[in-house]
Amino acid sequence: MPDMVSLAQPQQRQFNPYADNGGTILAIAGADFTVIAGDTRQSEGYSIQTRYAPKVFRLTDRAVLAVNGFAADGNMFVKKVRQRLEWYRHAHAKDMPLRAIARLIQTMLYARRFFPFYVYNILGGIEEDGSGAVYSFDPVGSYEREACRAAGAAQSLVQPFLDNQIYFKNQVPAPGMAHPVHLPLSTVLSLVIDSFTSATERHIEVGDGLEMYVVLAKGSTAIQSLSTVRGIQEMTVTEDGERVFVIRRELKKD
Amino acid sequence: MNTFADRFSTTTAASQLRHAQKLAEEEEFDATMWGSSAGFGSLTKGVPTFTVPAVPDPTAFLRLHTDDHADPSCRIKIKHGTTTLAFRFQGGVIVAVDSRATAGSYIASGTVKKVIEINPYLLGTMAGGAADCQFWETYLGMHCRLHELRNRERISVSAASKYLSNLVYSYKGMGLSMGTMICGWDKTGPAVFYVDSDGTRLKGDLFAVGSGSTFAYGVLDQGYRWDLTDEEAQELGRRSIYAAGHRDAFSGNTCNLYHVKEAGWTFLGNYDISQMHYEGPGDVPGAPGGGYGYDIRVEGRNSSDPPEEAAAA
Amino acid sequence: MSIMELNGGSVIAMVGKDCVAIASDLRLGNQALGISANFQKIFPVTDRIYLGLPGLATDVTTLRERFRFRVNMYTIKEEREIEPETFARLVSSTLYEHRFGPYFIEPVMAGLSKTPSGGYKPFIAAADLIGCLNFAKDFVVAGTASSKLYGVAEGLWEPDLEPEDLFETISQTLLNAVDRDAYSGWGCVVHVITKDKVVTRTLKGRMD
Repeated sequence: MPDMVSLAQPQQRQFNPYADNGGTILAIAGADFTVIAGDTRQSEGYSIQTRYAPKVFRLTDRAVLAVNGFAADGNMFVKKVRQRLEWYRHAHAKDMPLRAIARLIQTMLYARRFFPFYVYNILGGIEEDGSGAVYSFDPVGSYEREACRAAGAAQSLVQPFLDNQIYFKNQVPAPGMAHPVHLPLSTVLSLVIDSFTSATERHIEVGDGLEMYVVLAKGSTAIQSLSTVRGIQEMTVTEDGERVFVIRRELKKD
Repeated sequence: MNTFADRFSTTTAASQLRHAQKLAEEEEFDATMWGSSAGFGSLTKGVPTFTVPAVPDPTAFLRLHTDDHADPSCRIKIKHGTTTLAFRFQGGVIVAVDSRATAGSYIASGTVKKVIEINPYLLGTMAGGAADCQFWETYLGMHCRLHELRNRERISVSAASKYLSNLVYSYKGMGLSMGTMICGWDKTGPAVFYVDSDGTRLKGDLFAVGSGSTFAYGVLDQGYRWDLTDEEAQELGRRSIYAAGHRDAFSGNTCNLYHVKEAGWTFLGNYDISQMHYEGPGDVPGAPGGGYGYDIRVEGRNSSDPPEEAAAA
Repeated sequence: MSIMELNGGSVIAMVGKDCVAIASDLRLGNQALGISANFQKIFPVTDRIYLGLPGLATDVTTLRERFRFRVNMYTIKEEREIEPETFARLVSSTLYEHRFGPYFIEPVMAGLSKTPSGGYKPFIAAADLIGCLNFAKDFVVAGTASSKLYGVAEGLWEPDLEPEDLFETISQTLLNAVDRDAYSGWGCVVHVITKDKVVTRTLKGRMD
């Protein structure tokens, strides 16, 4: 038998179950409402996979979840959260409160501590006391309640703009005046649209479409400013409680 | 690591994980999850269970995707950077922390709560992985309550910290990252324990943890005495966090200050670090008045702007 | 460890109505450790051109001297002041001379250029570290806070701002951007260039 010289080199393969699908999400809490928004572009590298892939989902009439990062993980995660919320409804005959959903999401994310969901979550909605609330999470479940948060590809473009326009950072009020603690819904909606048009200009992974979910507390007066909004659609299921609306806008597609 | 040996071993962390995974798979949806305990996530069985990737070395998998020290471009960024400190003195324990979280050079948050209120008598601090600290210290809180119910007395700080230390030690080598101080008041008086994810557990009077800890130690060591008054001690905690927030790029934004006394902990306040630099912490006991910043303190008394007598001479 | 992030720092320039503004932070650091809160990164080239040099601090000093020398030589040979467009080309070719061992600097230029009718036209430009020029009509940014600067500037900037409004816009943009960047900050400096004067203001920024 002739001498065989092996030409095979050792090859290393690595299991990579993750991809980055771009996009950006954003949530802002008001006094008695919350706006949760996300663009609808889904991309991988320089290619656009689809111009309409929702990243924001209604969970209950008082809770909306935005997911960003790896789309497959995100969709599966939302599915699992919804399943758990349905079980809760069967067991308790009511919707889970927002702060409880936040803790549920923490335990669900941390259960995957050694095989993380590559997903950045922002949960927005109405608290049991009727106030608007935003909870933001990291992929393994650390969370915090905030008034405003941007996450995803263009978070570094959007967040400092929001610091300036929502928290009035680096702005000094006129003598005898004070910065407002909560902004009206119409102002918040304009800021969300401006944030996404800006991000679309300067980030290739952001664009195509914008979906803004608005959650209103029971009896919120912010409903008046929604009556004039073009193309608004109501998503509410239950009566006499919190109400959920969605507003869709086009973003640049280049 | 010898992955071949590891694969068939029954004693390594990885194999224990595989075992836990098998258990979890067998009864992923047991009856209790459909009943009133739905909503308690992976805690329904009393012990948390974790999903692990189906690869020979799950730890290497996790490191590949989350370790931003080795690979800054890795996808899943776990937030880093912190300054936390705690010290014991005659009047109890002072716990002071900053509130910044960074992912690379981006300041992801300036409002992080790095003091975890385990129960009215115990505080834990957060450095390293935010989720690891939040989750396990909340979990520790559950077990401290169970200890109270079982033994009709509060858990000692020593026992609580040892519980946490043993818990994270069982996950050693699997990528948990936490550096925490468990602070409280028990039968022995004020107590501080340092616990980290390597399994270290130290009892001591004074600790600082995080990227800004060296700056905090600088101020802390210089001003620390056992017989500090409450006001002096609170000011020392604030001033140390200011120093770290000022010099360390990964620390800053605000300082959260807690004081643990015999009756439990009290939250003293949230102080903006930039405001402390220019104007000081405001009208609080122990504050010297005026800003902490060097150029603010020496205004009119430095080489470029000397006092009149010195300038005339 | 990235060389571009070793010392930190950021610069931005904006166009207004018959004016331009250029601004930078004042931090010099050694990775996470803050060293100086008084490190200038913007230098006057002529009465109407300013040059910002964010990047590696040692190259800031070297390039400043190099450009001073080259601009002086130009002024002597041509017996006139250099125009912003010409200066941008000089910056570009100087950087490209070091194509395979570059200076770790991303220059930002702002100035007013003379028009044939005798007026002045706003001019801004930026280059990458090997001299690829970017002539923008609105604003240019560079440094460790560049992505943050892009986001805020895109939201706040509008055309034809008067000098005072341009000052407010560039200041708010810079201050809020560097507050989200770990390697920039520790105070800011802003220059607003108009046809008859340059107004320089130092801003009180966050010190953490």
